[in-house]
Amino acid sequence: MATETAVKPKIRIESIHKSYFIDGAQQEVLAGVDLVVNAGEFVSIVGPSGCGKSTLLNIIAGLDQPDSGSVELSSERLGELLKTAGERLGQTGYMQQKDLLLPWRSVLDNTILGLELKGLSKKQAREQALEYTEAFGLKGFEHHYPFALSGGMRQRAAFLRTMLMGQDVVLLDEPFGALDALTRIQMQEWLLQLWESLSKTIVLITHDVDEALLLSDRVYLMSARPGRATLVLDVDLPRPRHYDMVTTPDFSTLKAQLMEPLRAQTQTFKFQAIKSVGQAGS
Amino acid sequence: MSVLRSLSRLLTWLIPFGILVTLLVVWELWVQLADVPKWQLPAPSAIGKELVSSSSLLWDHTLVTLQEIVIGFMAALIAGLVLAGGIAYSRVLERSVYPIVIASQTVPIIAIAPLLLIWVGYGLTPKIIIVALICFYPIAVNTVDGLKATDPDMVNMLRTLGASRWQVFTKLQIPTALPFMFSGIKIGISVSVIAAVIGEWVGSSEGLGYLITYSQPLFLTARVFAAIFVLSVMGIGLFVLAVVAERMMMPWHFNEKRSNSMRQL
Repeated sequence: MATETAVKPKIRIESIHKSYFIDGAQQEVLAGVDLVVNAGEFVSIVGPSGCGKSTLLNIIAGLDQPDSGSVELSSERLGELLKTAGERLGQTGYMQQKDLLLPWRSVLDNTILGLELKGLSKKQAREQALEYTEAFGLKGFEHHYPFALSGGMRQRAAFLRTMLMGQDVVLLDEPFGALDALTRIQMQEWLLQLWESLSKTIVLITHDVDEALLLSDRVYLMSARPGRATLVLDVDLPRPRHYDMVTTPDFSTLKAQLMEPLRAQTQTFKFQAIKSVGQAGS
Repeated sequence: MSVLRSLSRLLTWLIPFGILVTLLVVWELWVQLADVPKWQLPAPSAIGKELVSSSSLLWDHTLVTLQEIVIGFMAALIAGLVLAGGIAYSRVLERSVYPIVIASQTVPIIAIAPLLLIWVGYGLTPKIIIVALICFYPIAVNTVDGLKATDPDMVNMLRTLGASRWQVFTKLQIPTALPFMFSGIKIGISVSVIAAVIGEWVGSSEGLGYLITYSQPLFLTARVFAAIFVLSVMGIGLFVLAVVAERMMMPWHFNEKRSNSMRQL
């Protein structure tokens, strides 16, 4: 498993800043974020919506550039540190909350998209993908169009598309956010098994504290916009993990450590303002 | 359930058909009872007889008009798709050519038909050009819109999979544009018949449009109606062809729509 290999940073982020021009004003989205992810680790980033979590992943994936600060992605395959967005683009597996399956392609042809872009023939690519359709719960649905599938299956198809690229770093942006609670639990357990058998480095964005604790080696808590990492929590629960663990005392202790600062952030509503709802006219 | 559905399907066809038949019967009775002169308004039965008795004449002229439409439409399709692709792919073309394409639509193409007679003569060519000019615009503009309608998240997904600009274009933009392109094709094909007829009116010696302008001063009103009938059948036939092509090229599109509406039930 991952912990046995020598600790080697796979992703190293140092004080990156990023602002966007939103609604006619310059708004800071990331205000000095530091993050280290070692090879083979599962790291989660938890934070309220709008804290720049997705921006952070976009920057790691090379879709976006930080205004300042440094990002390094170490690529085993290329044997070098990728420091610019252009170098990193296409070097990570990136999966978003939306499955983004192409509606005109069958499930199988959606999963081979990345291989096809690399120049593999459709036939070769399909053969490769077919070896995994069973493990990804897609057996029997390879030739269906995506619209005929359930949300969980679509998400697994998108997952297979990401994994077939063979990148050792996988970025997941709320991959289960759009699923119902039961399907989500199923998918979390499935992802746990998959990760434990694959030795990938995974960065997961989520706003689900249970999900973060259950899956991760380490959890970063981000503050509301402008986002910065306010807390780093090592999750020392034993592996292999199982969903039953969410009710154990150890889990609850960890959860309390995360929930307290998270609630403190999200409860900064102005109750004075709420009190005056409906009184404005009187 | 399935009996009900097939019954309702049958009804959707029966009702317009019934309305049409009723209108024809009223028309027939009115002409017969009011004794309307044949040169003013022939009865549907008289038009039917004319269709049969002049069938070979009508057929010859139909072939000419059909030829103008098919060649003109294909030219518009090729030019429209190539230009739309260029405009969607290149900023420079979008900034320079696209505004001209849009502005060109304010030129009444019908009005330049007489000029075409001066430039290329009386043959098929000026009609083909008019058909092409009229069909070009809806095809090109709809396809440009379609090529630009891509979901930015999809583009990012492809980029993280290592796609080049060209791969994004072929794997994402073109399939996204297909439904838009077919809207343009259906609009184009509907107006192509009008374009051919007007082209023939301006000056020609063959084609159904010519047959109409030739028969009208002779008060061969039934023949005018027969030619109009053939033109509408042609228009409907071409439209159906476009719809069939659309369904064959985008099976996912129609299955998706059906399954969405089923889900709502």
